[in-house]
Amino acid sequence: MKKLSQEKDDQLLHYLDGELNANEVEALEKELLLSPDLNLRMEELSSVRALLIKKGQLEIPSKNFTQKVMSGLDAKPARSVFSYRQGLLLLIGSVIASGIALALLSAGVFDAPTTPLIVDSPLNNDWLKVPSISIPLNGKILVNGIIFFNLGLAFILLDRTILRPLFQRRNSMGY
Amino acid sequence: MITTEDEYALIDRILAGEKQLYATLVDKYKSYAYTIAMKILENRSDAEEAAQDGFIKAFHYLKNFNRQAKFSTWLYRIVFNTAISYKRKVKPAFQSIETSIIEYSERADHQTEQDDKQVYLVKAMNRLNEADRLAIQLFYIKEFNMEEVAEMMGQNLNTIKVRIHRARQRLADELTKILKQEALTL
Repeated sequence: MKKLSQEKDDQLLHYLDGELNANEVEALEKELLLSPDLNLRMEELSSVRALLIKKGQLEIPSKNFTQKVMSGLDAKPARSVFSYRQGLLLLIGSVIASGIALALLSAGVFDAPTTPLIVDSPLNNDWLKVPSISIPLNGKILVNGIIFFNLGLAFILLDRTILRPLFQRRNSMGY
Repeated sequence: MITTEDEYALIDRILAGEKQLYATLVDKYKSYAYTIAMKILENRSDAEEAAQDGFIKAFHYLKNFNRQAKFSTWLYRIVFNTAISYKRKVKPAFQSIETSIIEYSERADHQTEQDDKQVYLVKAMNRLNEADRLAIQLFYIKEFNMEEVAEMMGQNLNTIKVRIHRARQRLADELTKILKQEALTL
C-alpha cells in the first residue's frame, strides 16, 4: 500500500468524526471510490475507531464502592510531604548543626570584629585596573543567624514529625 | 436526572453539613471515576482504591470548587491526579512464572475475531507513549469530549487534539503491522 500524505490521513479522521462539511464529504467519497489505497486506510482507521469505542465502555466498580467512600469521609487527607523517618533525621541534623555552631561560637572562633570579604574584579588585566571590592563581614552575626534559623527549623520539624502525629493519634484513639 | 443547578444546590447542602448527600454524587459519578482510574492503573483493586481516594479528596476540597467548570470535570481531574500518583507509588510486582495463575477457559479456544482484535489493539496501544495512550483512552470513554480530556489531563486543548489525532494514526499503523506479523507466523 502506498503511504498516504499526513493531510489525507487527517482528512479521513475528520470524515470519521463527522467534522467535514457536505462538499468535503462528497469530494472525499468520490476519491474513496477511485483509490484502493485510500479505501484501505479508511478501513484501518475506522476499525481502530470501532475497537476504541468498544474498549471505552464504562467499568463497573464494586457494589460497596459508595459505602467505602462515605465511611472514609472523616479521614483527613494526608498532608505530610516527608516521612516520619526523614523528618526525624532532619531534626537531628539541624540540632547537631546548631550545636556545632554554638560550640564554635563559644570557643571564640568568630570573635574577630569584621572579616573583610574581598571580591576581585574579573576585568583586571595589565591595561585595566579595577579596584577590589571589600565587604565587611561579621562572622558572629552570620553564625548567630544560622543558629537562629536552624533552631526555628528544628522547632517546626519537632511539631510536624513528633508532636502533631502524637496528638492526632491520641485524639483518634479517644483519649 | 440531576441538572447542573440541582448539583450546585446539592453541593451547597453538603457544604452546609448534610454530608450524607455526598453519596448521591458518588453514585452518579463512580463508574466514570473508576473507569478513568482503570485506564491509568490497569488493575481493579488499585483503580478502586484510587477512585475512592479521589472522591474523598474531592469531598475535603469541595469548598474550593469554584463552579467555573462542571463538577464532574473538576472531580475527574482529582481522580486522574490521584490515580497518576498511585501509579508512581505502585511498582510493578515481579511475578514468577511458577506462581502466576494462567487463566484457561473454554472461551480462550473459541475466541471470536473481535476479541482477537481487542488483544491486538492492546498490543498496539502499548507501543504508544503514555500521554498519547491516556489521552486516546480517556477520549473514547463514553461521553468525554476533547475539552474534558484536556481539562482532566491539565493540558492545552490543541495539544490534546494533536495527541488524539496522532495516536489514532499510529494505532492504525501499529495494528496493521501486528496483523501482518500474525499472518506471517500462522
